[in-house]
Amino acid sequence: MPNAILDPTGRADFAPAARPRGLVLAPRPPGLAGLRVGLMNNTKHNAALLLAEIGKLLAAEHAEASVTVADTKPNFAAPAPADLIGRYRRECDVVITGVGDCGSCSASAVADGILFEQAGLPAAVICSDAFAVTATAMAELRGAPDYRYIVTEHPVAVLDAEQVRERAKRLAPEVVALLTARAGQ
Amino acid sequence: MTTAARSAPAGPPAGLDPDAAQAAIEHCYEQGWSDGLPLVPATQPLVDTFLAAAGRSPDEVIGRLPQLDRVVTVRLAAINAVLAGCRPEYFPVVLAAWEALMRERATGGGWQSTSGPAPLIVVNGPVRTELGFNAAGGAFGPGFRPNATVPRAIGLIVRNVYGIRPHELEQATQGLPGRWSICLAENEEESPWPPLASEAGLPDGISAVSATLLRTCEFVDNRHTSSAEQLLGDFADTIGRSGSWIFQYAAAGVVFCPEHAQLLAGAGFDRTQVRAWLAERCGRSTAELARAGKDGLDGRVRLPGDGEPAAHFQRMLSSDDRENLLIAVAGARNAGISMVIRLFADWSGAAVPVDRPDAASRTTDKHEES
Repeated sequence: MPNAILDPTGRADFAPAARPRGLVLAPRPPGLAGLRVGLMNNTKHNAALLLAEIGKLLAAEHAEASVTVADTKPNFAAPAPADLIGRYRRECDVVITGVGDCGSCSASAVADGILFEQAGLPAAVICSDAFAVTATAMAELRGAPDYRYIVTEHPVAVLDAEQVRERAKRLAPEVVALLTARAGQ
Repeated sequence: MTTAARSAPAGPPAGLDPDAAQAAIEHCYEQGWSDGLPLVPATQPLVDTFLAAAGRSPDEVIGRLPQLDRVVTVRLAAINAVLAGCRPEYFPVVLAAWEALMRERATGGGWQSTSGPAPLIVVNGPVRTELGFNAAGGAFGPGFRPNATVPRAIGLIVRNVYGIRPHELEQATQGLPGRWSICLAENEEESPWPPLASEAGLPDGISAVSATLLRTCEFVDNRHTSSAEQLLGDFADTIGRSGSWIFQYAAAGVVFCPEHAQLLAGAGFDRTQVRAWLAERCGRSTAELARAGKDGLDGRVRLPGDGEPAAHFQRMLSSDDRENLLIAVAGARNAGISMVIRLFADWSGAAVPVDRPDAASRTTDKHEES
């Protein structure tokens, strides 16, 4: 009887059965009127400006909607810490975050989106299309292979301010759709 | 060892089954475990010899990536070291290299990065000769089993245990040649300076591993000057290139060949003085950086600025601290060719002792707390 060949991944030790499968999204509001919008910038170049521009558009287009938190993740490679998620939960009704524009930050942006949903906050994650595979790999890892996020064309970091504003205009309707009942979940 | 490698082929020992070996190798490929090259299939008896060589608890957790919810244990590291082609006695070196890398940006998003950084592993002390690590000609490889398989084991741990695989969670834009194959022994015998591990504060004569992550590397070929300043000037020019310089400051290093190191030492330079000389001169003027669109700063990231003041010299190294400029000595004493290395992030500067419970030269020092 030959020896068995050992598995080098240790995946069996992770007991996938014990890990949560399937993400229940936070309940969607019918619209953004009167809601508090949170922006979480992941420090990638142009992320702060893109989020701010989208925030402005949402505030202008939805009565009494306003941006109440615009904070920055301490580490773009890691998911947002619990205290930061907690702050958004206390001070916002919906969150927009990104931009997934690198190897680790795209994956962790999706992880953040899932954390926000689990905290009861509808979230819109914006990720560059060049990193969609790694973003989806993270969603699968978190037991939410069908997690929806917003994909925007790569690259974002080289856009000038005017181009970022244009990009924000194009993305704003997608953000609204994902954050509200129009998401059709 | 060299004699054995060159002796006439004696024919395979009786009882080996190449067909079974090939089938087992193909099985490993089919599971997605391979980095592209054949793997040595791991069995429990073989893994047990690795674990015995290290004398550590198989369940000890030695790495953790919270964003991926995955942990590396000594047992999983041993299985991957088997796959990589290590011998059992190399395994303590793999563990020391892994621990040294845990002090680098490898604990964050480094392995997933678009930069595709490569570990640089430097081995010091008696373990070099006892296990047959190459410190001389062709120090960057290939050709030597311990130098080739120890870094490969690191790469397989990242691939298999963390699940960071190319095109998935690994997003290297191009990667870099030798990503999982840069492990060199310091040429202590021909170095004019103390071993790298001694510089890190470990006792002389101890076996230890230093490691960091490289962005890329490029050699300086300068074999016709006898002037230390001219030689260092050549290094300053190469180190100061803008290509891989993306943040306000960048850390670098030089793996000097014995000839260059001896020339510098002969002119009175020790490591500290080499660093001081280079820290002052590695960099570019704002005008030069402006031509590459890297003269300005947004936070700590370089981007196009206004090009002013044009003549201002921007240093690449934030200081002459050793963490900003790793200096080691390796290679043959046959030409003036040394490797400039560019670090992915700051270097911890630490050296981790190789703990070998069964080795005659075992150290009694415990691992530093991380």
